[in-house]
Amino acid sequence: MHEVSLVRSILNTLEEQFSPEELQQLKQIDLQIGIFANVEPLLMQNAFEAVKETDGRYRQVVLHIESLPIKIYCEDCGVSSLVENYVFVCSRCKKPSNQLIQGTELLIKRVHFDD
Amino acid sequence: MVDKSTKAARGTVLCDNANMNLLKANDFVAESIRKKMAEMGILLLNITSSAGSGKTTLLQETGKRLKEEFKIKILVGDLETERDAERLREVGVEALQIVTGGICHLEGQMIVQAMDAIDLDGVDILIIENVGNLVCPASFDLGEDYRVTLLASTEGDDKPKKYPRMFFTSDLVLISKSDLLPHLPFSVEAAIQDVRDVNPEIEVFPVSSLTGEGIDKWCNWLREKAIAKRKSTTASV
Repeated sequence: MHEVSLVRSILNTLEEQFSPEELQQLKQIDLQIGIFANVEPLLMQNAFEAVKETDGRYRQVVLHIESLPIKIYCEDCGVSSLVENYVFVCSRCKKPSNQLIQGTELLIKRVHFDD
Repeated sequence: MVDKSTKAARGTVLCDNANMNLLKANDFVAESIRKKMAEMGILLLNITSSAGSGKTTLLQETGKRLKEEFKIKILVGDLETERDAERLREVGVEALQIVTGGICHLEGQMIVQAMDAIDLDGVDILIIENVGNLVCPASFDLGEDYRVTLLASTEGDDKPKKYPRMFFTSDLVLISKSDLLPHLPFSVEAAIQDVRDVNPEIEVFPVSSLTGEGIDKWCNWLREKAIAKRKSTTASV
């Protein structure tokens, strides 16, 4: 979905947090994207390249995307399990759970600046 | 975020999730909508589905049946045209069209602006008819109390797991166009199983705006939620 607007949102967020001088030193942005976020990493990269073309300030910046699998928590077992094939059941007791603890992230995790 | 620096950022800066969530702006707006609706005792619904699954027709039938009992207003999102709002007005329900101009979903800010354009005084139920799309609208909280998703019998019973986020975030799934079921290779049981793989306890039942099947059940569901919402507000005042 709307990857270009997400890229704009990344840059706006960074512009709120850092000064223009600091952003000149920006080298790399690390994103965490849950696979339940409906965002396709490859399209995100393409959108980032497209935005870089039109906004010269970020030419030097590399986007790194880490995909996070879906995880749920089972109250009965007290364990978290990975959701495979979108079947939301506890891996230990097989009881259904919709207590999502990971998978919808759309986060800027780290930013790297030149030393 | 790390301490907003007095000195320039150098090296690697670890970000605080709360500040660096890319949908934080929408989530913030959605929370403000939720608060306002709670104060006013208005039940807010977000109706989602693919394009052409019968959202507007269902809402026409809903309006006809419940408009004497509740004050209902509808905000309807589409990429272009006023067509849906006109159809809803034809049955005597006040409706405002939100033209997104190409955007594939509604965002919280659009709802805030639309709410400013209508009179919410005395409204019991405010329904948002989202853009017909099972992908993007799933990720945008609009401050709703309940998300209701329609899955038309013509779409196929294998759709829920193709669009898992939408079905995961829904509170009720209606299998629409149930009058066509005898003519289609659509298994209600298979659809329910598919929905419950992603959302184990969700209620699912068939409706037909044409024959009226399930419409009373749906209206009862809505009536119960609207009354509960009104009570929760009076209780907290």
